[in-house]
This record gives sequence, structure tokens and C-alpha cells, in this order.
Amino acid sequence: MRHLALAAALLAAVVYPLLVPNYLATVGMLMFFTAFIGQSWNISGGFAGQTSFGHAAFFGVGAYTSTILQVTYGWNPWLAWPAAMAMGGLVGAGIAVLSFRAGLRGSYFALITLAFAEVFRIAANSASITRGGLGMLIKADQRPINFQFKDQIWIYYLAFALCLVSLLIAWWLTRSRFGARLVAIRENEDAARALGIDVFTEKVKVLALSGAMCAAGGTFYAQKYLYIDPNIAFGIDKSVEMLLVTMVGGAGTIFGPLIGSIALTTINELTRAAASVFPALKNVQPLSLIVYGAMLVLIVARLPDGFASLLGRRRHA
Amino acid sequence: MATDKKLPVSRRGFIAGAGTLAAGTMGFPLIGGAQPAAVKVGIIHPVTGFVAYAGSQGRFGATLAVDDVNKAGGIKSMGGAKLEPLLGDSQSKVEVGVAEVEKMNEQGVAAYIGCYQSPVGIAASQAAAKYNTPFLIDVGASDLLVTRGLKNVFRIKPGFGACVDQGISLLGDLNKKANGVAKSAVIVHESGEFGTGTAKLLASKLPSIGIQVKEVIGHDNPTRNFDNIALRIRSAAPDIVMMSNYQNEYVLLARTLYQQKVNLAAMYSILGGGFNYKFAKEQPDVSQYMIDVNHWYNPKSEKALALKKRVEAAGKEFTFEVYLAYTVVDLLADALEHAGSADKEKLTAALDASTFKAELMPYGPTKFVNGQNEGGRAEVMQAIKGDIKVIAPEQFAEMPPVFPKPKFT
Repeated sequence: MRHLALAAALLAAVVYPLLVPNYLATVGMLMFFTAFIGQSWNISGGFAGQTSFGHAAFFGVGAYTSTILQVTYGWNPWLAWPAAMAMGGLVGAGIAVLSFRAGLRGSYFALITLAFAEVFRIAANSASITRGGLGMLIKADQRPINFQFKDQIWIYYLAFALCLVSLLIAWWLTRSRFGARLVAIRENEDAARALGIDVFTEKVKVLALSGAMCAAGGTFYAQKYLYIDPNIAFGIDKSVEMLLVTMVGGAGTIFGPLIGSIALTTINELTRAAASVFPALKNVQPLSLIVYGAMLVLIVARLPDGFASLLGRRRHA
Repeated sequence: MATDKKLPVSRRGFIAGAGTLAAGTMGFPLIGGAQPAAVKVGIIHPVTGFVAYAGSQGRFGATLAVDDVNKAGGIKSMGGAKLEPLLGDSQSKVEVGVAEVEKMNEQGVAAYIGCYQSPVGIAASQAAAKYNTPFLIDVGASDLLVTRGLKNVFRIKPGFGACVDQGISLLGDLNKKANGVAKSAVIVHESGEFGTGTAKLLASKLPSIGIQVKEVIGHDNPTRNFDNIALRIRSAAPDIVMMSNYQNEYVLLARTLYQQKVNLAAMYSILGGGFNYKFAKEQPDVSQYMIDVNHWYNPKSEKALALKKRVEAAGKEFTFEVYLAYTVVDLLADALEHAGSADKEKLTAALDASTFKAELMPYGPTKFVNGQNEGGRAEVMQAIKGDIKVIAPEQFAEMPPVFPKPKFT
């Protein structure tokens, strides 16, 4: 039955952009993209329990690496993409080594990641290679060879593919020994160490994986919008977005970030659309943010384990 | 039993009624068809987020202009077609701005107006280019907006490059007349595309008028405390502080420098986001003698003065976002008049060839070169006793400049 439901959902996602106008295809693309970067957070924050407030560091590193390679050094963006992922992985591993060597855990680790993201943002604002606050513009040349698509549908399918890959990685974590070690670390780090798990190495590995995934999201974003600046790439709102979709959907679950992304994107779009549907609301768009915030409070208050808990499955353990 | 029930309407009455209804229904589209279809205009501003005030002002100006165009009979060459505004909120986010473009495209917009913030404008106009839909920039300082080779982007106001050139030239003149009293400057700018770009140009051009740049200080958006920056300025002891930032940071920096009694020959801003009547009225002591090079209305224009009265009567401030958005809607209406159609290609061609006279602004006839109007120019204003007066160019000047400003006692 579950396989049937999954197949139906997969089919619906494939057919969806063929049946809806471009705007709704864009909304679908945003859902999958946010789910993907949310999953990158979930892998380290949800499965391994290493809560981060600064995943924008990886996102920005990915966006800037591929953009610099493409714009300044003339690389093809498809080749720059794996390079950006490698750089994201390196930065993830670097932050992990520095933080975990210093014995930082829990809220201290969360705060140090926030600080790292800020350092990257300030560095991007000051360095000439990133053009500082001027930002970097990617030349529009809508050919697939340039990782740019004239038809919106292809960028949708790319986001969908990224999301699928991230779900497969999460699924693999629930089945692999690596995933089991991460869960052990999340539940009790000292007990995990007592069981012979190399806690430090496992945490570095998961941060590297998470960083590489998030950096892939950064490149995708840069190629979609063709412009990045330090605030867009390393801004705290990206970190919050990743954390939020995971928390709302269900941290440490395979489908949590996807469910959270669908729920939050839908609420956001509906509340924004209310202004167009009801003419009286035309000039009160801030109201949509109030409604959005109120719904978030309700979700967090009523479903502390996220929407995934409604499916009868709590955290993967 | 049921067959015994009788309808309360006779058969003849029913047929007559149905006939009337059918004729009415069939006739209605004919009458409706005689009405020209409204021209939908997508108006995208950040009405939420950290620049919500400026975004709301832009929206207000644009909708006011749409109402005026419609009240004046709509687009006459299109049989009196009305403009229909579709209002979008970018939430100060690039992806939301682009999503608004996509949504409005589905709703059949003929043109877009927006977006206040350059990064949002860059991405949103790029998205509009996919549909060949004209995108009119009302506010957006970055020159990247019009140097990408996009055929659909039009900006009537000058960009920061032109404003810096004008500002530097006037500062040079002012300083010369004051016997070169200003010899050094500190530049304070917001760290985004607009502030950084302006600061970079200023730093490279100030030495050409004999002013040495002592320090260039960037700050984040939002910044809620300028004490440290004010202390750095005090220790650098420049003659002039030059600022390029958005509303809140502009006002806060000015207030902090005033509170710390930092003596300067002038606070001279290029595109100062907070230099407006609201600031001058609410904080007359802080704003006194501040100079700004910015988009400003033509103080000699009857139309501009009448609009100013109307805007103030509506309880709003007459800020540059209002009259620039108003002007851009007028430009669009003029282009529609010439195109005689909302067809995107014809409209783009009409905009490209436009010689529109922006009555509200101190501009010459519009002439777009690669989407940038070459007839646009900034003005230089000075705050004086809770009011703002134009001090240059000479033909629009309302008072002589006060430079250097009196020192704190």
C-alpha cells in the first residue's frame, strides 16, 4: 500500500508541471528546492542531532564557488557544480573539525555555525573575488549547456531530481550502519563513544555530506536567479528556512523536510494570494505574514514533532 | 401526487421570461465586447520587510497614477482602455519577486513596474525577459539593471553612476566657492549593491576635486546602532561625511552624528534613502543643512506641486518613491497611447522610441539608450528648518546653498 502511494505521488510530481501554468510550476520548483536544502540540514541536524543555525555558510559557498568559476574563470556551470559541492563538503568538514576539536556541542555548536556564516558573509562583502557588495551577475544565456533553461519545466524537474536524491540519501541513512551511528550520537554522545563509535570522525563526515548537499543547492539557486550577493547567499534567512521546513515537517525523518516545505510554501502562497483574491486586502499584504506567523505558531504548538508525526512515525531511531 | 403539482408560472409566461433572459444573456457579451479590455500592469514592491516604508510609498504613487490615467479616460488610442493594477509584494526577497513575475504573467500583464531593490529588480526583470514583457524600473539604483543587454528593461531615472558624477561636480563647485574648505571625506554606505557601488565610484572620483578619502565604512541592513561608526568618523575627523544607505540607517546615522556633535563642513549624501520631508519635519535639528543628491521633483512644475498637495492631503509624504512610480506609470500610459495596443512587441518598441516628457521631474525629453533614459538627471537639495529646498541645478534652485554648515557650539 505504501509503495503504491509513493508511486502515485511520484507520478503526480512528474505530471504536475505539464498540467499547471508556469507560476504553479515555479511554486512546485520552490517546494522541491526548499525540501532539498532542508534535507541537507536534516541530515546533520535531524539524523545526527548537530543543530546548526548557519547552514547558509554552505549554501553561499556553493553559490559563490560555481559563480566565480563560471564568471571569472570561464568554467562550464555543470562542471563548476561538483566543484562547488566539493568546496561545500570541505567547508563543512573544516567547520566540524574546528568546532568538535574545541568540544562544542548543542547550543554552542549551533551558535558557532551562525558565527561562521556571518564570517563568510562579511568576507564575501569585502573580498574583490566576490565583487563585495556589488554581487555577481551570471550572463543570461538560456541554453541547457549553460545550466539555464528557457522552459520553466526543466528547472522544475531538476529541483525534483535533487529532492529525490536527497530523499534517497535520507533513506540510505535509515538503513546504513553510518546512519545508525549518527542516531546513536544524536541520542547520547557519551554512550555512543562507549560503544566504540568514533564520534568525532562521524560528526565530521556528516557535516561534510550536509555541506556538500547544501552547496549543491547554492549553485542551483545562482543558476536559477543569475545573481547573488553576500546577503542573498549567506543571509540568515536561508539558514532559518532550512531549519524551519525540517522542524515543521519532522526532524530526523525521511520525508520531514519535503512535508514541511510543501506545508510552508502552500501557506505562504495562499496567504499572499489572498491579497489578489479579496480586493479589500490588496493593500494589506503584511497581513499575509501575520497569518503565516500565526499558522507557524499553531503548527509548532500542536505538532512539536512536525507533520511527519501525523503519519504515525516519530523520529527515526 | 407529484404530477398534480402546478408551477406557479404559466407556460406562456415561462417562455416569455426565458426568451427575455436568453436575449439578455446573448446580448450582454455584445455590449461587453464593445468595452476595450483593461491593460493589466504588474506593480511589484517590497511592502513587507526592512524597506517596507519605501516600497509602500512606491505602490502608493503607482496606484495613484493608475487612478488618474483611468479617470482621464484611459488609453484613448485603445478605445479608452483602463489600466488594471496587479499588486505584488516582493517581501524584499529575490525568489518572491520572481514568483510574482510568474504569477502576473499567468494573469496576462502587459508590463511590470518595480522593484525598489536592485537585486530583486535584476532577477525579476530577467524573469520578465523570458516572456518579452516590458519591465519599467521606478526605483533601483544599480547600473547592472540596464547594462545586461535586456531589450525589455527601461529606467527613466538616472542610475548611481550618473548621480555620482553630478554630485561630485556640484560638490567641487561648492567647495571652490567656499575656498576649498573641505579637504577630506569619510564615506559610509550600506553593504548591498547600491551602497557599495556608489561608495566605490565616490572613492575613485573624490580626489579629482581635491578631496581625500580617509575611510570607507560599510554597514549591514538593518543596522540598529551607529555609535561605533560615529566614533570612527570622529577619530578620522573628516570635513565631509558622505552617505549612501536606505531610510532607517540614513536617519539613524545622521541622528547619531548629531548627538555626538561631530563637526563637519557638510553631510553630503548621494541617493540618501532617508532624505525626505518626513525626516526633515520629524527631525529638523538633525537634518538641518544636510545635502543630498537624489531624484527629486521639479519644484517649478505646477503638476508636481499639485500632486504634492494631494499626496500630503492623503496623509502621505511626497517622497521620491511616490513621484518616480507615478512618472513611470505615466510613461507606460504614454507608450500604450503610441503603440495603440498592449501587444508586448509594439509596447517595447514604443518605449524604446519614447520621447515622453516627464512633467513631474526636472528631465528633458525621454531618450532610451539600451534601456537607460539619457534625459534624466538628479537634483541637489538641502534641508533647512524642517523643509527641503533645491539648491542645484541653477534653473530649479529655490535657495542658495549653505556650505560649510555652521559648527556646533
